[in-house]
Amino acid sequence: MKHRFTGYLATSLLALTVALPVQAKDTVKIAYVGPLSGGNSALGIGGRNATDLAVKLANENPTSKYSYELVVVDDECKPNIGVQVVTKIATDRSIIGSVSNYCSAVAMATLDIYKKFNLPMIVWGAVLPDITYAQKISEIHRVNGTMIQPNMVAAEFMVKQGYKTWAILHDTTDYGKGHNRYFSEYLQKNGGKILGTFGVTADQQDFTAELTKVKELNPDVVYFGGLTPIGIRIRAQMEKLGIKAQFQGTSGIKSDSYIESLGKELAEGTLSLTEGVALERLPRGAAFSEAYAKHGYDQPFEAYGPFAFAAANLIIDAIEKVGPNRRKVNEELGKTKDADTVIGKVSFDDHGQNIIPLVTKYVVQDGKWVVWEDSEYGAGKRKLKGL
Amino acid sequence: MSLDIFSQYLINCLMLGMIYAMVAVGFTLFFGVLDIIQFSHGDVLMVGGFTALVTYAGAQALGVANPWLQLALMVLIATALTAGLGVLVARYLVLPLKNAPPLNTLLITLMMGMVLREGVRLAYPNGSNPQPFPRLLPGGVWSVGGFEARIDSTILLLVGLALITGLHLLITRSKLGLAIRAVAQDGETARIMGINFNWIVLLTFGIGSGMAALGGVMNGLYYTEINFGVGLLLGVIGFAAAILGGLGNLYGAILGGFLFAALQTVGAVVLPMLSQHIPSSYKDVFAFAVVIALIAWRPTGLIAEKSTERA
Amino acid sequence: MRVPLTSRPVLLFVVAALVTWALAWALLGAETQLEVLALFCVTVAVAVVAAKMKLDAPVAAAASSHPRALGIACVVGVLALAVVFHEDHFPLLLLCSVLLYITACLGLNIQFGYVGIVNFAGAAFFGIGSYTAAMLAGHTGLPHVLVLLLGGAMASLISCVLLLPVLRTRGHYAALVTIAFATLFRSFLEVNDALGGPQGMRIPALNLFGWDLGADHEWGELFISFYDNYVLFALALAVLAFVLVRRLERSWMGVAMDAVRTDEISAKVYGISIARQKIVAFMFGNLLVGIAGATYGMMTGYVAPNNFTFADSLILVSMLLLGGLGNPWGIVPAAALILILPEKLQFIQEYRFLLYGVVIILILLFRSQGLLPRGIRRYFPNREAARG
Repeated sequence: MKHRFTGYLATSLLALTVALPVQAKDTVKIAYVGPLSGGNSALGIGGRNATDLAVKLANENPTSKYSYELVVVDDECKPNIGVQVVTKIATDRSIIGSVSNYCSAVAMATLDIYKKFNLPMIVWGAVLPDITYAQKISEIHRVNGTMIQPNMVAAEFMVKQGYKTWAILHDTTDYGKGHNRYFSEYLQKNGGKILGTFGVTADQQDFTAELTKVKELNPDVVYFGGLTPIGIRIRAQMEKLGIKAQFQGTSGIKSDSYIESLGKELAEGTLSLTEGVALERLPRGAAFSEAYAKHGYDQPFEAYGPFAFAAANLIIDAIEKVGPNRRKVNEELGKTKDADTVIGKVSFDDHGQNIIPLVTKYVVQDGKWVVWEDSEYGAGKRKLKGL
Repeated sequence: MSLDIFSQYLINCLMLGMIYAMVAVGFTLFFGVLDIIQFSHGDVLMVGGFTALVTYAGAQALGVANPWLQLALMVLIATALTAGLGVLVARYLVLPLKNAPPLNTLLITLMMGMVLREGVRLAYPNGSNPQPFPRLLPGGVWSVGGFEARIDSTILLLVGLALITGLHLLITRSKLGLAIRAVAQDGETARIMGINFNWIVLLTFGIGSGMAALGGVMNGLYYTEINFGVGLLLGVIGFAAAILGGLGNLYGAILGGFLFAALQTVGAVVLPMLSQHIPSSYKDVFAFAVVIALIAWRPTGLIAEKSTERA
Repeated sequence: MRVPLTSRPVLLFVVAALVTWALAWALLGAETQLEVLALFCVTVAVAVVAAKMKLDAPVAAAASSHPRALGIACVVGVLALAVVFHEDHFPLLLLCSVLLYITACLGLNIQFGYVGIVNFAGAAFFGIGSYTAAMLAGHTGLPHVLVLLLGGAMASLISCVLLLPVLRTRGHYAALVTIAFATLFRSFLEVNDALGGPQGMRIPALNLFGWDLGADHEWGELFISFYDNYVLFALALAVLAFVLVRRLERSWMGVAMDAVRTDEISAKVYGISIARQKIVAFMFGNLLVGIAGATYGMMTGYVAPNNFTFADSLILVSMLLLGGLGNPWGIVPAAALILILPEKLQFIQEYRFLLYGVVIILILLFRSQGLLPRGIRRYFPNREAARG
């Protein structure tokens, strides 16, 4: 019985290989790791689509030396599942590089596996500084910035606008807690005053208790460190309670869904300080948005999609250059300097961290995220709340 | 604390309690007739909310512009369809497992909840993100001597109160209610008395799920937003509220719902005031710790069941 | 009087064991869509053929009349898998997870299946084991055997907090106590920074008396994955737990526990101390869960609050229920199915949990008592077997 079964499997596999059309190019696999189910799935699916787009574009390009195949795994944003799926892709020797990790805890849990199996990876969304800086692992790279830079700029910028008091809300995940820590630190250095800090859970639906307290404290600004879904709820419930303060978020809320779900009026004036250069200002950024729209994905690419796209492109470029070999690709990635990508120039430092020179300030104006300097707010025609 | 802030806390807390109570009532009804826990109940509520949302889009497309008419359509269609969903769950998932251990019903409905949740997330356009829920109620504020409340919140509170009272009357005063109570007390004897057991079970699931749909619409109107994960936490809290109050008891479910909301509000507001070292994020830790203590004190719920042999 | 070894049931049993092993092998090894699909069809076909030819009853009879043979077959099967996959980390990691979850479920089985306490905080106690291991192995030089035991002891100790409410309540009310604890535990880990906060912390690999379980072996051409170390250890742990639980079930204590579950009042009349049975079951069960958790933590090398949510507790409970409440044998296929199925569905990406939910619902509709429901207690197993 056992033999018959094995035989069956073998024949079916054989049939498959025979049935496949003979391809001119060798197929090279790259992997994508991110959350595709549960509360963080919106961003995970956005990143997946962007990576998929990069692979499709490479395959459509007649000058590509290889044809690429994307292996997608869902880490559910859980470290134990992350260890499982990363072990799976890392031990599959046909996978040459990975666009990995949106959740910091998953990234932290899996660092050693990439190292052990020499699988070059590029982080596309996790923002915890420790991922690149706690130790030096040559396989680990990151195209997005850590949460330090945007908060440093944000604190200085906001104080300069003339705001004095803050209430801070953050989700109790690593993302929210980290943002709270760095923003509070830099805000105090710049002389801003924090009236109250509120941690909320990532699946919380009702924020009226915390927000009523905020209303009582009456701050100039409500800072929120967290992602779009809660950001929407908090902003909507602020309105409900009649809180007039300015709303300021992090990269986590800079998504079209934020504006779509809130409506133009409510979203108007929301600030978000994100790491990286504004997509609209780069020639390749506009091309990316266009190609994304053309390929008909049914979900938006969200805040971190461009980073995933850039990461996938870096890996593909490296493979094109040195061939499908993990060690060589890794060496090539380590040498990345001033690479022209959708998110601007990318250079990795000795820890594999992209040294992003810029933080972009966004404000919602008439239902769109507009770069501060280009906006009517920046030009002084419109005023942020309470100024 | 000034009066307007206090009134704000009060309204928040009442509103939250009302939604919890509407979920808890369903749990308690189902437990009453079949002694089982329908764990996908929170997700049924979410489906109700999304059905209303689709109805709204349909009404817009058909050119129905009057907000009250839209609302009436949403409520009608959402309640009907969700009640139907509840009946289907009972008919095809719960009743077939009647002779299995009661915990297996819990497992199958749990999986059903996951299927509903993931189904809505994947089927609804951009469903992984929260969806805007239309503002159909007047938005102004009324105030009496410093006590302020929004008109829409007040309407929702009153409607919720009316619904729960109506359900209570249905259960205690009508012939149908009598049949439900008979089945709840003793299914076998009820059958001997000529009550169609399966019909009553299906009807009860329809009523409970219809209530959940109304809860979903209220939730959407209140928060002006709805997302696929809303049922997950509401399910757990609704279940906790139903048990805390005493399973099989409508008053208990209502009491449990409001008590839970009060605990969360206290945890988020009062505790941080008492001590600098307790941030508001401990509110769930606090609420659930108190629940454990309360249940240790009253092991069959705050309003105890008459028969304690239920397990 | 045993069934003679050459009889039809025994032959059937051997064939069934081989088929099961082949299916387990294919399940662990299947990667592509086609392989998974083929495996699915073969499994359904095997189940249908077995049902049509009425083979399941004689196989079950043969198995239950030779529990030792069944046990040995399982151990040999796992060892054979460990040998076949000795180079492949990933199937071995899945195998280890299954073994450790079996150990944890055996602990819960004492609570759910024997004494009748429902515990929806399994993942919390699992997590207490992991976190204790992380703190002790990371910050002290304690030998790791002790760390694992302390992980279990800590889970058992912390569960004492719940003893009073658990003893006073029954059924769904006890469920609430543990649900509240599971939710509370996760929130606490996330907001409290002393234990690593939301991003969690690393744990060093397990090292038993100088045997580093985290190291691969290479002898010339032969390469053996370090997960084989963990498979051996986890297998030993699972077998030990299994034997303990079976012994407990067969002992007078097991009879007393069954009595408490089925009818507390009669149990009391016969002089059984209900509180004592419940305390023993609750604490011993959590001890097993905690030890499994500590080992799991050291194997994956990382602990974080997201591993131990209420949903994870529900996964543990699902394994028990799907297997058939009270039957430790049922846990084995159920744990394998619940852990490995979502993993094998990775190729359908965001749709996998939808399909997974549907599959479990279908299984429950066809086998409403679970895969292998617990039979009526046999006081004299050999005599019963001889009779029928």
